[in-house]
Amino acid sequence: MDSNQTPEMSEHQRQQLQFQLFQESLPKVNEMVYWMLLNETVPLAISVENNLSKSSTSEPEASQSLERELDSKLTLSPTNDLPSHKLLQQYLTADEEKQAKIKQRLSNTGFLLGQKLSQLLIFSNNPNISFKNMDLLTVMKFVCRDVWRQMYGKQIDNLKTNHRGTFYLLDYNYKPIESFALEENLSAQEHTLIEPYLEIPCGVIRGVLESLGFQEEGQVVCNATIVEPPESSGTTITGTPPAISFNVQVLSTQ
Amino acid sequence: MAIYSFWVFDRHCNCIFDREWTLKSNQSSGTTNSKLNEDTAKLLYGMVYSLRSISQKLAGNEAHNEIRTIATGKYRAHILCTASGLWFILLSDLKQEDLSHVLRYLYGEIYVKTVAHNWLSPIDFAESEAEKRGQGFRKIRNRNFLLRVEQFLGPMVN
Amino acid sequence: MSSSTNNTPVPSTSSKKSLKVFSDDIWKNKTAKINAELFTLTYGSIVSQLCTDYERDFAKVNNQLYSMGYNIGVRLIEDFLARTALPRCDSLARTSEVITICAFKVFLNVTPQVGNWSSNKDSFSLFLEENPLSEFVELPMDAAKELWYSNILCGVLKGALEMVQMDCDVWFVNDVLKGDQTTELRIKLNRVLKDEIPAGED
Repeated sequence: MDSNQTPEMSEHQRQQLQFQLFQESLPKVNEMVYWMLLNETVPLAISVENNLSKSSTSEPEASQSLERELDSKLTLSPTNDLPSHKLLQQYLTADEEKQAKIKQRLSNTGFLLGQKLSQLLIFSNNPNISFKNMDLLTVMKFVCRDVWRQMYGKQIDNLKTNHRGTFYLLDYNYKPIESFALEENLSAQEHTLIEPYLEIPCGVIRGVLESLGFQEEGQVVCNATIVEPPESSGTTITGTPPAISFNVQVLSTQ
Repeated sequence: MAIYSFWVFDRHCNCIFDREWTLKSNQSSGTTNSKLNEDTAKLLYGMVYSLRSISQKLAGNEAHNEIRTIATGKYRAHILCTASGLWFILLSDLKQEDLSHVLRYLYGEIYVKTVAHNWLSPIDFAESEAEKRGQGFRKIRNRNFLLRVEQFLGPMVN
Repeated sequence: MSSSTNNTPVPSTSSKKSLKVFSDDIWKNKTAKINAELFTLTYGSIVSQLCTDYERDFAKVNNQLYSMGYNIGVRLIEDFLARTALPRCDSLARTSEVITICAFKVFLNVTPQVGNWSSNKDSFSLFLEENPLSEFVELPMDAAKELWYSNILCGVLKGALEMVQMDCDVWFVNDVLKGDQTTELRIKLNRVLKDEIPAGED
């Protein structure tokens, strides 16, 4: 911001700097509470699924209303819910239908977040984004750079496309699972446990694209897969989490 | 500098991690989470428990008189007790006056990051009443914790 | 056998003022931060999905948020203790200071006010003038009646306090989202739990 330097600063750089200062001036919270909130969304979705399937299989109405009366008076006792890691383990033994419901719930949460997030990013005067005449590639770059940076404090590491509407967003260090490790060795179980953790960002991508005009039902399909990290740099024992590929398919509407 | 062993006890008086090095010349020697260490763990727990109670009683009205180190003729025990009831203990040779910074690192940078922040790991290692009060058997087994303990303490072994 | 003990009783954090300086420093210099709005929106999406899942049965949503918070609280406390190295509190008054001046500051960058102590000093209220969970949130009519939007906080406090051997009840009394004048959260200490001792030693 030294005035001596300004002649060398282009208009774009100046805007960038302003944007950065603006970002820094916004209210903040400790990132740890955000990571923990994100981490608990999966056990939460499993717990919700448990509760919903329980209540659909008959429950004496009297005790329920008594319980509810007590609950509404004092929201006490953690209603004997299981610890997070135990809820996660239930995901391993759940049948496919239950797993699908859990994932759907998370994906929906992500979708809601994606819609709100794109509003937030649009109104933040980011000089890198022009929402006029955005083509699909620009939209994907926006997701890789701005959405990811906002949510995970980093950009997508690599963007690939087949030029027929499918994009592969590669994240070699997907933050929410950074600390994850189940046992001495990486196992198939651990991979299965990571899967539901990929649903929120998939939903976010759908939500962002929806609010940018890709609105038709089923127009955007997004899923994620665990992939080999780039050029196996001996990362098998160093405890690096696996790389993730977010696969986005956008169907043309014409 | 020589560290002999590292121990973690949880709020249920259970040893949830133990690592003992047997050869000074070899960082990868010794045992991890060994059945053979069960009795030693109980003795170590008992010793710290007793001295801790005494030091707290001696403090009288003054609050917080936590025990930090205990020295015998052969070794020194360095102790960190957290408010949440975790105990981190290192046994070293007598030359190590104060390893509290090492214990803080093991807690804040290793335990918190690889156990508390690791949603796949339990945070409470006793799964039932029968596994509480020193009768538990579960250990910290996740690779990030194991690996980072080795990386951090290994160079201090010899 | 010789034993050396800690003679310096918790440097620089014993008074309320020094606790504030200590906490502000952690927040300012030792904490990685994110935009509060991202946090607000994420929490908002979770709550609104829950309301859909439970078909707007808000009592169930309240419970689910509470147990979600509990599971976070039992982990968050370790992060907090590692950051602050604080020992257990010797009074509930001290606990109220550590929660508001230190924990809320370090995690959410707000400092609730403490008040409404019960006559026997076993319970108190936190008044949240600012609440990063519900910034810019407005509740629809049906939710405003029954939903405790920020109920996750009660669970977090419950879980965290239990890990330092304080068995507490934690619940919301008022919330500006429901049209109340204040957002008031109540903490009642039931008992201080005894540390376990090995079986056969008692």
